[in-house]
Amino acid sequence: MHMSTRQNLQGNHACALAAIAAGCRFYGGYPITPSSEIAERMSLELPRVGGVFIQMEDEIASMGAVIGASMGGVKAMTATSGPGFSLKQENLGYAAMTEIPCVIVNVMRGGPSTGLPTRPAQGDIMQTRWGTHGDHPIIVLTPSSVREIYAQTIRAFNLSEVLRTPVILLYDETIGHLVETVDLPDPATIERADRKWATGPREGFRPYADPGDGIPAMARPGDGYRSHTTGLTHAEHGFPTQNPADVDRVMHRLLGKFDQHRDLIDSFEALHTDDAEVLVVAIGIAARAAGRAVRQARAAGMRAGLFRPVTLWPFPEDSFREHAARASTVLVVEMNAGQLSLEIERLCAQPGKVARLTRFTGEPIGPAEILATIQERARHGHA
Amino acid sequence: MADTETSPPTNVLIVGVGGQGVIMVSKVLAALCQLHGLQVKQSEVHGMAKRGGSVFSHVRFGAQVWSPIIPHGETDILVALEWSEGLRWLDAMRRDSGTFIADTQQIVPPIAFRDRRPGARSGYAPQSPAAVLEMVGTGFALDATRVAAGLGNTRIANTVLLGALSTALPFPVEGWISVLRDFVPPHTVAVNLKAFQAGRDWVESGSRPAEEAARPAGARVAVAARGHRLEITEAWCKGCDICVKMCPERCLRLDERGLAELANPAACTGCRVCEWLCPDFAVRVLDGLGQPVA
Amino acid sequence: MDTLSLDTFDIRAYLREDLLPHFMCPGCGHGIALRALLWAVHERGIPKDRLAVVCGIGCSGRVGAYIDANTYHTTHGRPLAFATGLALARPDLEVVVITGDGDCLAIGGNHLIHACRRNLNMTCLMLNNEIYGMTGGQVSPTTGGGRLTSTTPYGNAEPTFDACALAIAAGAGFVGRGMTLQLPALKTLIGEGLAHPGFSFIEAISDCTEIFGRKNDLGSAPEIILRQKSGMRPDTYGNIVDRPFQAKAMRIGVLGRNDRPEYGAAYRAAVAARIAP
Repeated sequence: MHMSTRQNLQGNHACALAAIAAGCRFYGGYPITPSSEIAERMSLELPRVGGVFIQMEDEIASMGAVIGASMGGVKAMTATSGPGFSLKQENLGYAAMTEIPCVIVNVMRGGPSTGLPTRPAQGDIMQTRWGTHGDHPIIVLTPSSVREIYAQTIRAFNLSEVLRTPVILLYDETIGHLVETVDLPDPATIERADRKWATGPREGFRPYADPGDGIPAMARPGDGYRSHTTGLTHAEHGFPTQNPADVDRVMHRLLGKFDQHRDLIDSFEALHTDDAEVLVVAIGIAARAAGRAVRQARAAGMRAGLFRPVTLWPFPEDSFREHAARASTVLVVEMNAGQLSLEIERLCAQPGKVARLTRFTGEPIGPAEILATIQERARHGHA
Repeated sequence: MADTETSPPTNVLIVGVGGQGVIMVSKVLAALCQLHGLQVKQSEVHGMAKRGGSVFSHVRFGAQVWSPIIPHGETDILVALEWSEGLRWLDAMRRDSGTFIADTQQIVPPIAFRDRRPGARSGYAPQSPAAVLEMVGTGFALDATRVAAGLGNTRIANTVLLGALSTALPFPVEGWISVLRDFVPPHTVAVNLKAFQAGRDWVESGSRPAEEAARPAGARVAVAARGHRLEITEAWCKGCDICVKMCPERCLRLDERGLAELANPAACTGCRVCEWLCPDFAVRVLDGLGQPVA
Repeated sequence: MDTLSLDTFDIRAYLREDLLPHFMCPGCGHGIALRALLWAVHERGIPKDRLAVVCGIGCSGRVGAYIDANTYHTTHGRPLAFATGLALARPDLEVVVITGDGDCLAIGGNHLIHACRRNLNMTCLMLNNEIYGMTGGQVSPTTGGGRLTSTTPYGNAEPTFDACALAIAAGAGFVGRGMTLQLPALKTLIGEGLAHPGFSFIEAISDCTEIFGRKNDLGSAPEIILRQKSGMRPDTYGNIVDRPFQAKAMRIGVLGRNDRPEYGAAYRAAVAARIAP
């Protein structure tokens, strides 16, 4: 059966199809607008490839079930939106602490609380980084098109597996419900990564010992390791410790485990940044509007550029600093009261350099408004 | 305002493991200080109400106390309700003038402090009380738990140590007794007062060599009349008394250390009720060859 | 109920011996309940490599670490959720959940009723000691009326949950209650639960000597454990014959069986019926 792989696809459906292509075989979900299409599509697709879909009794349980499935060795994911994402935070921290791979999609809607359930927003930028309690490593990817949702979903699974970490795929309602024509790649060309499984001697196995690259191999139940997994601070043997020297050592390994792998993790898109005087920073639908505004500004003779982090956390800060070095203004465009701005201000550390264009009314920010702000800030621009 | 530089507070650090009564000792001391019109600050780490969790309480008192935390190396008196916890905090003491008061009873710490590698030796502190006492200014190492067991209740070992502590501080004994009365349950006042006095007597009866820690043996095996053996792993026994009271033949008892032993091997039928109901897996009924009964 | 027959079960073969002594308080019934579980595992011939034990938080949550198996110490109230994912992903594993009265009935209550309803193959062992022991003795959903706890200093005025009645009403495949005092009976009950192809809920009446017992002046560990019996009514004795004046006594034994389809199998069957081979 040969069918064209070109199709009109909704962002959320692209996410589901990409998850299947990446090898996801378990989905634990709970309905919530505007992410429900992912669960619906997964419930349809997973059984066709021998996977399991389950709608759990609540958001907390769905996160627990996803981690449970992954503990069993199966690639697993869930999707949710603001309120549900809040509820998942404790178990998300458990996955970070125990280093269980899993993928969590957060399709952002207006908040706080029930907020604007059907309207787009980007108010979870900080929650994806700091939502669960305590210091923890986390990776957040933020696509801005249907095609990119497909690619970044696959990448989310691969990073999650290779680095043994929860990975969050974060995009706003507009991107999730966007329908675009996409060419899906030939499944044979998709690169899939699997976690390292423990294969050495059972006796004396230390499930959290650093093999050198910061990422311990995982013990699969049934393989004879009979190891212990706990959210308590644990030493290399997997059992709890309160010894300050042990805690210091194992937490340094946990918090620093991405350091050796930043080449794998960092990703961004840069448009006209070489000589940009006004550098716009944005993600998701706001970045698409910003892209148009930058092109219009260029056409009008203004030196504008766009830096779009695709990996939002850890923020690709070295790359950003390079691209922002020559700009006199960094304009952060975001659909919240100013969250990404906080990170950009930290990185620029120059009074007056960072300008904000923010909105939390449930409406996207259009190119015209961004262009107008670029004009205000561009010294050599035309009115 | 008193000058803490010229009249520094007295620093008492009380340490132990969960369930031993560290907080009770520090509360009694704090209340006593308050009774004497002194300022007192008490800060503690506790909350895991389990055996083995490390618990400690700082008590600072004097004319004026600002910080609730004892600066490192300035502990005047270290009271340890458990031996290895005492060793853990030795560094906190004043090197020459500090007083060390410890129960030599060992509670083998939980998984949090164990090396799990196969064949690894127990991580329990190997230092003998005599060796430790040489490292401190003034030291008292007494088997308070055994003293308490002699009074019929191992739970009041903390009061024995409180009695020992009372000799190291300048408060009149009547005050200690009055505060202690207020702090213990009414029906245990008499036994607690005895324990307190026993602790005082131990110190006041003059210096004596440090008592050897009562290190629980591995396993004690008794041969019963019908050829089988009863094995009691003493390091695991917590003296809960269940096997003693549930034995249909009443052939077990708690020894002077509060650990289970087979007192009447002739009566033992090998019924295994003791093994089944031991919450600590310390009792096993083995056949004549030392294998689990088949 | 078993007679006092001897067998070759040596619990040490199923324990991480190097972690002992465990850190439960003297007289805590959780160790006895653990013996019942491991004895049942032994009798069922379940290999340790295939045994996955999922625990929550609290005293009950720390029991799993002593088992020489695949053990998971998860988050408070959520072990059933984790176990659901694990059991669906790995039907080849024998999934056992160890939870407590607070973990299972309070913070995790929603997961319990839906685990019962779903009837996925796993065994849930709830250790009921009437108290939040780990945090220092606060009232739980099973704390008896009038009992003194750290948060009911004037006596508990809240009614208690009958966990087994709840599980039966929610549709669990197998429901039973036993007490640590009657170890062989508890072991047999857990064994039946392990054998049942669906969700099995077993409540083990445990005890908290050091905290609950002390606060309520219940005496020594053996006294507390012996007293378990006076509040229990073996289900096989019928309703009024045995203890006509103890209508409120808790029933013990096998309390519910419901041979509904097991969820994992039902899911696969539903899928197979719609997807052409």
